[in-house]
Amino acid sequence: MRWSTLLMSLPIAMGYVPLGMVFGFLFVQAGGAWYLALAASVLVYAGALQFAMIPMLAAGLPVASLALAALVINLRHAFYGLSLINDRAAKRLTRLYLIFALTDETYSLVTTLQPRPTPEQMAVLAGINQCWWVLGTLLGAWLGTQLPVSLTGLDFALAALFAVLTIEQWRATRAWLPLLVAPVSYILMWWWWPEQALLLAMGVCLIASLAWAWRPTGARV
Amino acid sequence: MNDLYVMTAIVAMAVVTFLIRALPFMGARWLRGSPVVRGIGVFLPPAIMALLLVHSARDLGEQAPGQWLPAVVAVLVVLTLQLYQRQPLLSIAAGTVLYMSWIQVM
Repeated sequence: MRWSTLLMSLPIAMGYVPLGMVFGFLFVQAGGAWYLALAASVLVYAGALQFAMIPMLAAGLPVASLALAALVINLRHAFYGLSLINDRAAKRLTRLYLIFALTDETYSLVTTLQPRPTPEQMAVLAGINQCWWVLGTLLGAWLGTQLPVSLTGLDFALAALFAVLTIEQWRATRAWLPLLVAPVSYILMWWWWPEQALLLAMGVCLIASLAWAWRPTGARV
Repeated sequence: MNDLYVMTAIVAMAVVTFLIRALPFMGARWLRGSPVVRGIGVFLPPAIMALLLVHSARDLGEQAPGQWLPAVVAVLVVLTLQLYQRQPLLSIAAGTVLYMSWIQVM
C-alpha cells in the first residue's frame, strides 16, 4: 500500500501542513528558536497543546503548570486507541510509536480503512501524517524568521486559534459553565495581579473543575 | 524565551502527553469510570482554551491604544464563523485578515 498510503494521507496533509505552519510561525514570532518549534512537533505532537504552550512559555509559567496543562488538554486521549492496537501482537517499537502518534485525524482515517491495516501499515500512515505536521512547522518557523517581527496584526492568528479551539471544546462537551468561569476568573486575576493573571486564573479554574466534578449528582450544567 | 527553560518544558509536556496516550494500554481502565476524572476532563479543557483566548486578546489590546475594539470584534467574528461553518482555517484566516486590515487603516 505504498502509493495509496501517501494518497490516503493527502486530506490530512491539507490540514496538518497549514496548521503546522501557523504553529511554527507563531512559536518563532513569540521568541522561540526554530529548533525548539521542531522539537515540540517531533516530541509532543499534539495540536491544541502546542498552540497553548506558546503564550504559556512566553509568559514564563512554571514547568509544572505546563505539564499540568498537557495533562488536562490531552486527557481525552486516555479514552481511545485501545480497540485499535490491543488485539494485535505488534512489535514493541511499532506499538510504542502508534501509542504516541495516534492523533484524532490518524485515528479516524485508520478506522475507516477496509480491510483493517496491520500495525506496521498503521505506523507508516501515522508516521507520514506526523511528517506533514513537522514539515508545516519547519516552513512556518522559517517564514517566521524571515518576516519582520510582529508583522502587524498577524499575531491575531493565535487568538483566532484559541477561539476555534474554545468552540470545538464546547461542541465536544456542551458545558457552558467553564466558558463563564474562565473569562471571569481571568479578568478578576488581571485586576488583582496583572503579571500573573494567566497562572492564577488557571489555578482558579482547576479548583472550580474539582468542585464541579464532585458536585452532587443530578446537578447538571 | 530561554532555550533551556523551553526545552525542559517541552520534554515535560512530551512525557505527560505520552503517558496519557499510554494509560489505556497499561490497564488503567478505571480512568473511564472515574466521575472525577470525567468531570475534570469536561470542565478544564474548554476553560483553558477560553483563558488562553482572553489572555491573547489582552496581549493584542495592550500592544497599542485603540486596538481593543478590532481585537474584540475579530474574535467575535472567528467564534461565530467557527460555530456555524466549522472550518478552522477559514475562521482563522477571515478573523486575521479583518484584524490586520482594520489596524492598518487606523
